[in-house]
Amino acid sequence: MVRAPEWEMYIVWYFFLGGIAGGAYFAAAIADNFGGRRDREIARIGYFIAFPLALICGALLILDLGTPSRFLNMLRMFKFWNPMSIGSWGLGAFGAFAFLSAVLSLGDSEARLALRRNVAKVGRVFGFFLAAYTGVLLSTTAQPIWGDSRLMGALFLASGASTGLASIAVVSYFKGANLGESWSKLKKADSFAMVVELVLLFALVLMLGPAADPVTKGRFALPFWGGLVALGLVVPLALSFVKAGAGKERTAGGTLAIASVLVLIGGFLLRYVIIMAGQL
Amino acid sequence: MAKTLAMFTDTSVCTGCRACQVACKQWNQLSMEKPEWTGTYQNHENFTEKTWRLVRFKEKRADDGRLKFLMMSDVCKHCAQAGCLEACPTGAIYRTEFGTVNVNQDTCNGCRNCVSSCPFGVVAFNHETGRVNKCTFCNDRIHNNMPTACAKTCPTQSIQFGEREALVGRAKKRLAELKAQGEKDANLYGVDESGPLGGLNAFFLLMDKPSNYGLPEDPKLPQRNVKTDSAFSIGSALLVGAGLMMAFRERGGNGSSGGEE
Repeated sequence: MVRAPEWEMYIVWYFFLGGIAGGAYFAAAIADNFGGRRDREIARIGYFIAFPLALICGALLILDLGTPSRFLNMLRMFKFWNPMSIGSWGLGAFGAFAFLSAVLSLGDSEARLALRRNVAKVGRVFGFFLAAYTGVLLSTTAQPIWGDSRLMGALFLASGASTGLASIAVVSYFKGANLGESWSKLKKADSFAMVVELVLLFALVLMLGPAADPVTKGRFALPFWGGLVALGLVVPLALSFVKAGAGKERTAGGTLAIASVLVLIGGFLLRYVIIMAGQL
Repeated sequence: MAKTLAMFTDTSVCTGCRACQVACKQWNQLSMEKPEWTGTYQNHENFTEKTWRLVRFKEKRADDGRLKFLMMSDVCKHCAQAGCLEACPTGAIYRTEFGTVNVNQDTCNGCRNCVSSCPFGVVAFNHETGRVNKCTFCNDRIHNNMPTACAKTCPTQSIQFGEREALVGRAKKRLAELKAQGEKDANLYGVDESGPLGGLNAFFLLMDKPSNYGLPEDPKLPQRNVKTDSAFSIGSALLVGAGLMMAFRERGGNGSSGGEE
């Protein structure tokens, strides 16, 4: 019978924060390239979230190995068909782009911002990659649940988008950023990501059938149904229907910030439940 | 290229003496472990980083009401398509010229991706070294023209060592003999090179269904889905990207190129 790899909290945190970093980055890149002048602030905050998280992600993976210097062994190979190998390289490349984008966000000159937009056009590919590859890593193992979930990468990507956008909303709110009508854009984007995530989550559970029992029943039932589905997705989606009157952008931001904190909790629980339930 | 080596474990003549388990421990200098009470003669429940040969004991009530006592000396299968080898990001897990699968201890960095990717639960994480261990197919012995320690010591020739081709012939002959004697449940596990995992270099003659020994009936390479799963992820990226683009797009469009994502 299969043996659990003993992937524990370092990996849970890595999957969670890596999803946020990737999601915040590609959301920022899209806001930067397709949004208006005001959305530049969203982009700036997204890049500032992505870079430190990329550093923390690297540190978590290195700590998980026990002997930090052995991380260098990862760099002996470039196995592009192997999620963990290409993931190590991808995280490195993502970190480089997140660094560049964060540095370019320090100034306001038009040339700098134009360069930042172009950097993000390439960098967002690594953002999408970082958010999704951890799911494919799990789904190409022999473990129950993980190995049977064809949609794990797709789901993690959607969760990366929802948590990435949520992190931008929370940071913006506490920074007191003046986002104006960008709040509603953030809300719209996050709601879309959450709907995709919810649909993928149900598709994944349905496709697993009875194999999903360790996730949907027993000790993980409460964090899964109560934490992730209800508190982390349904409640924030319901909150997105709360309308604030004209000129009450700050209130709208507050509602979104509360919803976003719930989304972040849900995103953490998603990784926690799946990683732990697959190793029962 | 050297000929592919194999071990053929014929469970029909296994007496459960566990000499193979001890010989493996001695030759490979695997230290003592605390015994586990599994409810049977079996110890341990599963392979560990220090138990690479493991005699499994299974009891089963046969159709005629008699109790069948199944014994099987289990080991790393050295799969032709090895999940652990595919999973290893550092290249520490490699295939030798004899077709066996080995872990280079110096290169292993303890990521445990191989542990999660072995369909048989063979590869085990060693908390003392922070690296993984499994059967080496007595790599030192086979490179010096010696059979594996377990095969050498087996008193009933339940474990046979040799070139794969010759052993496959022997296994098929033995199966035919047993069938002729009325052992209708006897079957070969891992012999067929067109079968699961491209054939196992440690294959078995079982006296009952594989699942009754705790073996998967149809083991599959876990990495077979990497393309499908990546394609779904890319689809999700396109969908989410398009949704975000719609959400952030300025009405009236100021220099946005549109439809790029």
